Amino acid sequence: MLSRLVLRAAPAALRALPPPPLAVGVLHTTRQLHTTQQSLAPLPPLPEKGGEVRHGLIPEEFFQFLYPKTGVTGPYMLGTGLVLYLLSKEIYVVNHETVAAACILSVIIYAVKRFGGDVAAFADKLNEEKMAKALAVKNEAIDNLQTAIDNEKKEQWRVEGRTYLFDAKRNNVAMLLEANYRERLMMVYNEVKKRLDYQVAMQTLKRQKEQDHMIQWVEKNVVQSITPQQQKESIAKCILDLKALSKGAQATV
Amino acid sequence: MNLSFFDQFMSPSMLGIPLILISMLFPMLLFPSPNSRWVSNRYSTLQLWFMHLITKQLMTPLNKKGHKWAIILMSLMIFLLTINLLGLLPYTFTPTTQLSMNMALAFPLWLATLLTGLRNQPSASLGHLLPEGTPTPLVPALILIETTSLLIRPLALGVRLTANLTAGHLLIQLISTATITLLPIMPMVSFATATILFLLTILEVAVAMIQAYVFVLLLSLYLQENI
Repeated sequence: MLSRLVLRAAPAALRALPPPPLAVGVLHTTRQLHTTQQSLAPLPPLPEKGGEVRHGLIPEEFFQFLYPKTGVTGPYMLGTGLVLYLLSKEIYVVNHETVAAACILSVIIYAVKRFGGDVAAFADKLNEEKMAKALAVKNEAIDNLQTAIDNEKKEQWRVEGRTYLFDAKRNNVAMLLEANYRERLMMVYNEVKKRLDYQVAMQTLKRQKEQDHMIQWVEKNVVQSITPQQQKESIAKCILDLKALSKGAQATV
Repeated sequence: MNLSFFDQFMSPSMLGIPLILISMLFPMLLFPSPNSRWVSNRYSTLQLWFMHLITKQLMTPLNKKGHKWAIILMSLMIFLLTINLLGLLPYTFTPTTQLSMNMALAFPLWLATLLTGLRNQPSASLGHLLPEGTPTPLVPALILIETTSLLIRPLALGVRLTANLTAGHLLIQLISTATITLLPIMPMVSFATATILFLLTILEVAVAMIQAYVFVLLLSLYLQENI
């Protein structure tokens, strides 16, 4: 009954309240909806090392928690007391599972101590390789761009020397033309000389032939004109000359 | 707690509430989902590397259609591996020692491979019943033998896993009981038994991993034949 009273009185009471100030509405429209930078990137970096653990199981914070009250040996006393309590009250009964537990725990502890460092180093190596691959891609891209820049600079430098290039080319072409001209000149000279030599050779040959012919004709006629009488006279003269000569020679010897 | 030898194989329940589901789901807690970082912590990196390793190992022989099975086979592998290894801890219940669970895993998966093969390539699937190069008189007998071996596969899969794990656990229990009983009587014999137990524990660790791998490997082989 009282509740019905409250319920009936509620709207009137609410209307009795002062109306909400205009500033509230303004505040609602001008309030920034996202005040924190709730973006997903960049993610906060992972911590460098994991939490400190003592004996591989118990966090260091537990020891720090107990240190003010119980000092350094506190947690160990707690642990020992707990174990002894469980054993003495037979809350934990030593049975065959205990031995099995001892075996498997020793295997696990040995494995962790022996291979723990190697496994951690392997995991770090995997991550390093991943990062190295990405870095390699980045560095290769940078190197390629640097080479491209250097090539471009070289091309620009080459462009500056283009006048020399053109001069050299022009000189080259002129030299080629000159050489070609001289070669043709030489050829012309050789051809002309060949023809003139031919004419000269023809003339020489002709004169020689004429001379030879004339000598032959003269000799022939002379030989023909030698009569037998003349032949005998000349032979006798020759013999007399020879005798005179032989006398003269004997005398000198 | 007076444990008999078979208490460890009883499906766990607390105040009448069966805890088998929790014990089967527990391994899920040990594998954090790979976070959205590119370079994550060591645990995630190693987990990812390990998954990649066995996925490559198991899925390479399969053709492209078989790669659809990658998720179920990989999750099965991790499930069995974790359950087997966790079962070696003291006072833990190993679900894979229960034949019911192993048959529940083996039978549907084997049947799925068989039905896939019979549906998509029936003649090739049935052709596997006769090995190549058998002499003609032996053919009927061999087909019967191969059919039997085909039908016995799910049973073999389930029972292999169950038997291996159960036998291993039971041996550990027995030898540790012997060790403890002999300790006040003949300590040196007890010490020798403890050494045997130590070696057996190492063997059991290996068996746990191998059995999980063999289960999934055989399933992938059956899939290879049929897909």
